Amino acid sequence: MRIVRGVVALAAAALAQAFLSRYAPSLARYCDLFLIIVVYFGLTSPPAGAMLMGIGAGLVEDSLLGSVLGMNGFKKTLIGYLVGSFGSLFMLNQPIPRFGILFAATVFDPVAELGLSLAMGRSFVFPPTLELLQRGLGNGVLGLLFFWSAARLP
Amino acid sequence: MAHLLTERKPYLLLLVLLTLNLGLMSTRIKSAGQRSLLEEAVMSLMSPFLKGAHWAGQGLSGTWGAYVNLRGVERENRHLREQIDGLALKAQEAEESRQEVVRLRELLDLRDSVPWTTVAARVIARGADGSARIVTLDRGSHDGVRVNMPVLTPRGIVGRVIEAAPGTSKIQTILDPNSGVAGLIQRTRVQGMIVGSGEHGCRMEYVNELSNIEVGDVIITSGLDQIYPKGYTIGIVASIGEGEGLTKLVELRPEVDFRRLEEVLVMLKPEGPPERSASR
Repeated sequence: MRIVRGVVALAAAALAQAFLSRYAPSLARYCDLFLIIVVYFGLTSPPAGAMLMGIGAGLVEDSLLGSVLGMNGFKKTLIGYLVGSFGSLFMLNQPIPRFGILFAATVFDPVAELGLSLAMGRSFVFPPTLELLQRGLGNGVLGLLFFWSAARLP
Repeated sequence: MAHLLTERKPYLLLLVLLTLNLGLMSTRIKSAGQRSLLEEAVMSLMSPFLKGAHWAGQGLSGTWGAYVNLRGVERENRHLREQIDGLALKAQEAEESRQEVVRLRELLDLRDSVPWTTVAARVIARGADGSARIVTLDRGSHDGVRVNMPVLTPRGIVGRVIEAAPGTSKIQTILDPNSGVAGLIQRTRVQGMIVGSGEHGCRMEYVNELSNIEVGDVIITSGLDQIYPKGYTIGIVASIGEGEGLTKLVELRPEVDFRRLEEVLVMLKPEGPPERSASR
């Protein structure tokens, strides 16, 4: 059942992200639905589940709209592991810590990509601080809404 | 074993998954431009949904436009509401059609001037973050689109095909930091390499500091990269600064408005060099 929910969530995130990037690119810039579901599974599943969701979400993101297959897969797997490990150590079921985790994951994403790009000799333009803050805020707010909705699903 | 990996030692699973990703990345970078089976499968699976989302979005924006028009007219005159609403809608549709005709006519003119066979395509998706570094077109390998084919609009070059699935294809635009276009200043014929700077435009590198360049100069393709044919506009010089060593760093503003990119032309380039360069 959990696997089915994961696959459905992943497909919905892929569609919604594609839809947003086409019709509301300025909004899509400030939210990463794949990241939100990886963080959600990280907080509600064991680290293994979060990592599998991370690699799934990352590879779909890479295949659908990214450039190098495996780049987002790597980042999201790492984020899934970190959030899953963090979630198993601390109580993160309140909105403020969850917002903090979403924000931190958002900031970690380009940092990890910068490291990978440097390691692989590829160019990467690090997003400006203000844009990163706005993206963190967007992911935080949208993520909390998603958590709130997911908690009410049967 | 699986239990050990997933429950007791998750870092082992992490290691396996990260290694898998690194393997995929290195394969992808080594075989620059070649699609993997996984990418092909996901793109083929998602392309009907992308097209569906495109269609639904158009329907939604049409419905929303009608609603807004209706409310405005109702406030102005209750008796003429339906009539004005209908006229406003028709005017909107006509204006949209007129603009589309203008765009397509420009595309047609360009098509006539291009020495190779071309195929017109629509942009159906952008990058995951809404940026225009990678865009998806509604034409793919079934339409003759292949990797490394140049993509352009009447205003200038857009980028090149990096992946071609049966019904869709992905374009790396000249804004992508990993793209490279051989270019030259039209006025003085000074050559350089155009590299993307993300959403901020592009820059021209490897330009000798003694070169004669001025703000406002037009930069065109030189054809030396064997991808883009010679003579097509890339952008306008926006600023000139100091580069590394004895070079200038030239910032340029692309002629193509990537935020409003709707229709493009893919040049179905045959194998080997072109028979003649475009005269533009």
